[in-house]
Amino acid sequence: MSDAPRRRTRGQALLAAGGVLLAVLLAIVLIGPLLAPYGAAKTSADSLAGPSALHWLGTDSIGRDVLSRLIIGGRITLLISFVAVAIALVAGLILGLVSGYVGGGTDLIIMRLLDVVFAFPVFLLAIAVVASLGPTVRNLIITIAIVYTPALARVVRGPVLSVKRWDHVEAARSVGIGELTIAVRHVLPLVISPVLVQTSLTLSNTIFTVTALSFLGLGPPPPDPNWGSMLAEARQFMELAPLTVIGPAAAIVLASLTFVVLANGLREMLDVAGR
Amino acid sequence: MIRMVVMRLLLMLPILLGVSIVAFVLMRALPGDFAQAAAGTNLISPETLATIRHNLGLDRPVWQQYLQWIAAALHGDLGTSFVTKKPVAGELLPRLAVTAELTAIAGLMALAMGGATGLASARLRGTTDWVVRVLNSVLLAVPNFVIATLIVLLFGLYFPEIGIFNYVPFHTDPAGNLTSMLLPAISLALTVSVTISENTRAAVLEVSSQDYVMVAKAKGLRARTILGNYLLRNALTPVITVTGLQLAALLGGSILIESIFTIPGMGQYLFDSIAARDYPVIQAIVLVAATIVLLVNVLVDIAYARVDARVSYE
Repeated sequence: MSDAPRRRTRGQALLAAGGVLLAVLLAIVLIGPLLAPYGAAKTSADSLAGPSALHWLGTDSIGRDVLSRLIIGGRITLLISFVAVAIALVAGLILGLVSGYVGGGTDLIIMRLLDVVFAFPVFLLAIAVVASLGPTVRNLIITIAIVYTPALARVVRGPVLSVKRWDHVEAARSVGIGELTIAVRHVLPLVISPVLVQTSLTLSNTIFTVTALSFLGLGPPPPDPNWGSMLAEARQFMELAPLTVIGPAAAIVLASLTFVVLANGLREMLDVAGR
Repeated sequence: MIRMVVMRLLLMLPILLGVSIVAFVLMRALPGDFAQAAAGTNLISPETLATIRHNLGLDRPVWQQYLQWIAAALHGDLGTSFVTKKPVAGELLPRLAVTAELTAIAGLMALAMGGATGLASARLRGTTDWVVRVLNSVLLAVPNFVIATLIVLLFGLYFPEIGIFNYVPFHTDPAGNLTSMLLPAISLALTVSVTISENTRAAVLEVSSQDYVMVAKAKGLRARTILGNYLLRNALTPVITVTGLQLAALLGGSILIESIFTIPGMGQYLFDSIAARDYPVIQAIVLVAATIVLLVNVLVDIAYARVDARVSYE
């Protein structure tokens, strides 16, 4: 393994790069519609046009501005991902902490329940749940939160199992601090590093799942654009206008890359063992 | 050994039970009515609907419906398709074989790519290591359906003479079949190879720092002997585990990739069924896929114990 100072420098560089990308994503979510030069549904006579001063990334099959649609469509794609991962994180923290800290039968039951979810290929389960509940924004968020909770819970539980035996926990108990306080204030902070890394990776995976579901027509309902459905639409015309494919493809990759870079940066900075 | 295998399989049962309940509830807790979907239209009289409900056993308590469904599934009867009115099992099997082939080819590719890059990264260090790790990070961020779309775009634009949507069954043209699987398998394998590569790298580095490798070097054994007999053998254990665990990702991914390359596997079957609200098929696919993943995980555990004598589950 490389020495600590070098890991730190590399971690800082990765976090800086990831931070810049994250700022772009957050801008899309928070003020996206203000940034878009045109409306998402605004058509023009110029269909499948190449890049120009008017339309930086060209136009789609009915003359809508691709850049505007990417910015506006990114908003819903990212919003679903962020909210779903936030829910999965809270659920994972609670389940992992309770499972690891309480142990015994509680641990056994929680872990077996999570094993059930774990047994499904993530994407297949997501498809089945969305197909069953119907593809609405709310159902997508619920689905994705469910499929990614087990991985997060496991990442919390693992280190909790060892940290709860450390001396400071025993010390806290001996001075009469309640179990809940110990778990939250004296155990949780010590297991948070791997959780941060896993959360970042989960965000990257979630962007994959959201866009893939939308790509297959199981995403947020039309006519509002999103990256997955844009890629699917562009596929139909890709021989005529290859650039319309590149736009959404690049957006998906960049968003996903943001969280891979952040995860790598966090791993170096927080000294989480590399996988 | 036999006891361990039996133990592992027994431990799998409660999870399998949970999986089957999830698959059952998912399809019965639908917003649309199960009986209406079976009729294929909502323009039917309440009497007809009642008859269909009765024939499907929907007028009985839910737990009885579940038991009936699961008992039939255990006998290989996965229900009857609403659309074709044929048994699902018979329709699913040939498609499952196609998906299994795609998954297997992609898995082997990922193992070869991930193993090679991970080993190179760990052994050569320096620039090679850096290049592999950067490439891995980038690859990890490119979803397989984006890779597949770009491959389709690239070949459509520059090599239109190569038909990429020309799927042929294995039994009519084995060579043509394998060729048609190549591009889909690559799109599927790239992302998975990253995980294998990272794990191979970590495992080889870990083993390289062990005392017995130093002893082997000190004894003056040839580099190739050390690599084969000491390093790879011991680094293999975690790599096997990781590769096995990637099966779920491969199986899930192949659903997507099949729909892009129009390969008539389980994934395409699933989408046709979702579009047609053919719930027994969706239910069967979810159950079968999860069962396969569980079984492979058990096999991985067993393989793990065979390779590494220190592991015991007894």
